Amino acid sequence: MKQLEAIPEHPTTVPEAQGRVVPRRKRAWRTALTSYSFILPIAIFGLLLLVYPVLYSLALSFRDATVETYVSGDMPFAGLSNYAQSLADTTFWQALENTVIFTFCSILFQFAIGFLLTLFFQNRFPLKNVLIALLLIPWIAPVLTAANIFKGLFNDVGPINQISHLLGIPTVPWLASPGFALAATIVANIWIGFPFNFILLYSGVSNIPAEIYEAARIDGASYWRRVGHITLPILKPVTVAVLMLGTIYTVKVFDLVFIMTGGGPANTSHLLSTYAYQVGFSILNYGQAAAIATVIVALILSLNLFQLFLQRR
Amino acid sequence: MPLKPPSGTFPLWRRLLVCSSILVCLGAARAETTVEIVHYFNVPGQLDGLAAIQKDFEAANPDIKIKFTYIPFADLVKTTLQMAAVHKPPGISCIDNPDVRHVAKSGVLKDISASVAKFPTWQDTYPGPKHAVTEGEKVFGVPIGSNSLAIFSNKKMLSDAGITDPPKTWDELTADAAKLTKSPVYGLVFSATNTEESTWQFEPFLWTGGGSLLDLTAAPAKEALQLWVDLIQKGSVSKDAVNWNQGDVANQFISGQAAMMVMGPWMLGQVHKSGLDFEVTPIPVPKEGGKPVVPLGGEVWCVMKGDPKVEAAALKFIEFVQDADRLEKLCNTFNYISSVRSVAKKQGEANPELQPFVLQMDTARARPEEGGANYTEVSLAARNAIQQAITGQATVDAALAGAAAKIKPLAAKK
Repeated sequence: MKQLEAIPEHPTTVPEAQGRVVPRRKRAWRTALTSYSFILPIAIFGLLLLVYPVLYSLALSFRDATVETYVSGDMPFAGLSNYAQSLADTTFWQALENTVIFTFCSILFQFAIGFLLTLFFQNRFPLKNVLIALLLIPWIAPVLTAANIFKGLFNDVGPINQISHLLGIPTVPWLASPGFALAATIVANIWIGFPFNFILLYSGVSNIPAEIYEAARIDGASYWRRVGHITLPILKPVTVAVLMLGTIYTVKVFDLVFIMTGGGPANTSHLLSTYAYQVGFSILNYGQAAAIATVIVALILSLNLFQLFLQRR
Repeated sequence: MPLKPPSGTFPLWRRLLVCSSILVCLGAARAETTVEIVHYFNVPGQLDGLAAIQKDFEAANPDIKIKFTYIPFADLVKTTLQMAAVHKPPGISCIDNPDVRHVAKSGVLKDISASVAKFPTWQDTYPGPKHAVTEGEKVFGVPIGSNSLAIFSNKKMLSDAGITDPPKTWDELTADAAKLTKSPVYGLVFSATNTEESTWQFEPFLWTGGGSLLDLTAAPAKEALQLWVDLIQKGSVSKDAVNWNQGDVANQFISGQAAMMVMGPWMLGQVHKSGLDFEVTPIPVPKEGGKPVVPLGGEVWCVMKGDPKVEAAALKFIEFVQDADRLEKLCNTFNYISSVRSVAKKQGEANPELQPFVLQMDTARARPEEGGANYTEVSLAARNAIQQAITGQATVDAALAGAAAKIKPLAAKK
């Protein structure tokens, strides 16, 4: 650096207004330094609290990390054995299948309900804002509360079965039957998640100028044509964001299922998240739990990439 | 400054300052040792018991300070291991007894066999609790107290149904539970949820019938599981039992939705508070004349490897608690049965509700007797079979065969 500055013919120096000569490179350096210092806090935060844990978990998934090896700290490298062990486990496949079903059904219904509500709230009617506020309750309520309420609703002698009984519909012990436990948790999750879809779509819709609809109406477009050709295309960016965030939120759902069924009965309602918890903190096999957690991250990433691909097309 | 100033010229605040600094110096010179005890006790009675012991101990040992740190149940083992891994182990960890040998495998617990051999109470400790903390010659802790399971019955519901005595045999249990079932009241309630609780509640029936978790394809295991399946299929026990933890079970009983429950002594306080008229009887046996065999619950004082001075102080604390009177007082506040025979006998004589639990102590078994350090995984496989069978997902035979196949390699693994 110093040597470069010493060469007078070199065009790296520019005279400044005060006559003081500051090497251009040095100045550029200073500017860069100032700029970088602004992103330094977030970079440190990100590296320390976001990148490090994820990489640690990834590293852990390739090691034999159990109670015995965790404390001594040697945790020998185990290659892919944690993954192999998981893939050979029928509960893992059940949990993976459940996670996919849970995510797909949740998102489908959350989005559909949210979208239909958006269309409804495009109209003007009294008490509209009060109703919108009420609709947000499921999203605001703590999952802990919601999960326990649904546990009570789906109880064998709970309100849902009592109503079914009155209507003459055959009752099922929802949370206690292998075939219905997952369905019950999906219903609960749809209830929790639809306001999120609704409010984002609704804010997207409120930006659409009324003139466009008017013009279409004058041209003789029916209501559903207007929805299909105006509302949906304009909402596309919002839709993509909603679906991506929704996927992330749904794949990693843990507390709801943990409280409602604990993954039971007989592991039939385990999601990857509850299964990873069981392996990690009940059996204390940290390595295998990390491997399952890695699969969750991979699943979220691949689902999001797939959505991006659909959007680009 | 004169060492002893005439009074009057030396203001009060200065005198206080001097006094307090002398006290601080004295304190520092005494070099206090702090023993941190991590635990998950959160019932007011238990906390009072611990606080009383702490006060007595600190008064008797001014150079040792006790510091209790609460950690939620689910995190205790994890946190204990983490603290040890970063070389800041607590002095004592109050570990649930089936986990002790599992945690000991990691090498963080101190072998205290030489010290406990000198405790007079150790010779008098029941075999079950002893087994839970012993690995070969090594001893990894001293039981705080024990609990197990028995049948709680709602006296009024029983007399209304014309039942004079709570069931003593499996046949009586099945018949009485059916008689007591009148919608919306179920005859019996137990926990078959997807946690250790369901294995724990099943074990009294499995073991009383002579079965073993390591031999689930044998007849006694099939009979015990069939008993549960029949109770549920006949509608005497709610199908929701597969989702009820023991707290839910107690709520069903207290709120009058179930006439009998399988429950442990730690719930006595709560059932009493509800004002319900109830009685406690031992676990029913398959045939008259049999002896109930129940699993043991309860936590263990485990000394963690670390600073030798803290280790010694921790042992001193544990020895202090082993005094018969203190032990009785502590176990009574916990609603636990002492793991020491002579103390337990006294508790049973004083309190008829504890007596069934005391009587069961002689035959009670530590859970890791089946599966050792791999008990957790054995239990996981077993509870999966329990849930499969009682939800009708698989037959009793198929469910047990599946679990046995998973348990076989675990039992061999050691």
